[in-house]
Amino acid sequence: MPGFLEPIREALGETLFFYGFSPLLKIGFVMFLFALPIITWMVLAERKILGFIQFRPGPNRVGPWGLLQPVADVAKLLVKEDVIPREAIKWAYIMAPGLVVVPMFVLFSVIPFGPPGEGDSLSFFITDLNVGALFIVATATLGVYGIIISGWASNSKFSLMGGLRSAAQMVSYEVPQALSIVGALMLAGSLSLVDIVEAQRSAHLWYVFPQILGFFVFFVSGIAEANRNPFDLPEAESELVAGFHTEYTGMRFAFFFLAEYGNMIIISAVGTTLFFGGWLRPFPNFEALAFLDGGWLPFGLAFIVPMIWFSLKVFFFLFVYIWFRGTFPRYRFDQLMALGWKWLLPMALINIFVTGLVKLLLL
Amino acid sequence: MSLFKEFRDRFMLLDLFAGLSITLRNMAKKKVTVQYPEQRREPAARFRGMFRLDEERCIKCNLCFRDCPIDIIYIDWHSEKNEETGKKEKILDRFDIDLQRCMFCGLCEEGCPTEPKSIWLTTKTYELASYERWDNLYVDMEELQTWRVRPEYTDREIE
Repeated sequence: MPGFLEPIREALGETLFFYGFSPLLKIGFVMFLFALPIITWMVLAERKILGFIQFRPGPNRVGPWGLLQPVADVAKLLVKEDVIPREAIKWAYIMAPGLVVVPMFVLFSVIPFGPPGEGDSLSFFITDLNVGALFIVATATLGVYGIIISGWASNSKFSLMGGLRSAAQMVSYEVPQALSIVGALMLAGSLSLVDIVEAQRSAHLWYVFPQILGFFVFFVSGIAEANRNPFDLPEAESELVAGFHTEYTGMRFAFFFLAEYGNMIIISAVGTTLFFGGWLRPFPNFEALAFLDGGWLPFGLAFIVPMIWFSLKVFFFLFVYIWFRGTFPRYRFDQLMALGWKWLLPMALINIFVTGLVKLLLL
Repeated sequence: MSLFKEFRDRFMLLDLFAGLSITLRNMAKKKVTVQYPEQRREPAARFRGMFRLDEERCIKCNLCFRDCPIDIIYIDWHSEKNEETGKKEKILDRFDIDLQRCMFCGLCEEGCPTEPKSIWLTTKTYELASYERWDNLYVDMEELQTWRVRPEYTDREIE
């Protein structure tokens, strides 16, 4: 347990500390020091990386290397006029951005940033559900409601078509996504995310190596879930103006944006946990690399190191998301649906079948 | 296509990775952006920028006025007897150009018969924006000969 929390624990007492203070601390950390800063600066990272791919520097005026650009963006979105279309269904129009954002933030509660604490020390996740993977799949699906409702409530042709297309796309890629993680779950023998990472540590192996097909299906479905290029037809400007968020301005639009980038982070984090060893360092059982665990850091700061490894892996996946956006052309909607149902779903099923066969016969 | 190539491209997706490697390499290459206003691109040799007038070379033939397709040049001249040489000569009273409408087509420059030209557009100045509509947009004769480069943070010389 980090040393600076000991006095607080003495003062509050055991119960209040573990059931009151520490969840608040963890939620505050995850929301305000992890999720929101990453989402905000990912807007900048996307613009800069896309710029670099296109031989231009991206935003570089607002701060050094454009680092204050997100501050300017947020300020701009906050002061924009709040326009509600006259014929829009007002209560649904107002509710829809919240419906998209809330499931996304809820999912941050099951993601493990670090190992569980021994005895009565702090664990590095808000909660560890026995059915963590199932919870993730189920809650991620709730985001579709917000999109359908926003498309319908905007009372606009572009929004409606964009909302329906986006909902169809998200629903049809939920299936391969859920099935693709079953292979990793079979290898780990548990649905709890912390147990899966521990299983990867005891197996001396990141699950991406035996489950490369599962990871591929998971990642591609993840791109489709987040409505990112090459699957971003529902929100592409040249196709549908802006799809389901055409009629939204200012902070409401910022919520949809938040939800999209938050989904990207969630999918990267879940992919990291299930396939890339979560908070483990690259070769967790080689003693020679034990210095990477940060035992040498002063002030007992070694507890930060698993979080750093986790963050590095998540950042790598976010970079891959942006890299894909800069590289690939967009799928047409029927090609998109065909890809989901005719290619990714059979691949996920084959992955499950082969994993089961191997586990039965060899292990 | 052979079965192996089909498998390689459809399942192992190697052509996708070729595209990804190109974009990755692009990230390390030099950027082509010209960071205005710290850096500027020099316009081409035949670039038609803001025009300049030379009153002494002008022979007041009105050819520029007649060639202008939108009639924005306003010329007034009168004859005067020059005391020193005793000859009559033309004096330019007014040579104004309406900069709001000028499209920098260069026909006035082409029509000018003097050698070197009395009105020329090769000054390579294109930064002509101003904050007020009437500010610097109706350029009179004096200004046409003596304008400084705008905006003021460059001090290029005008040839």
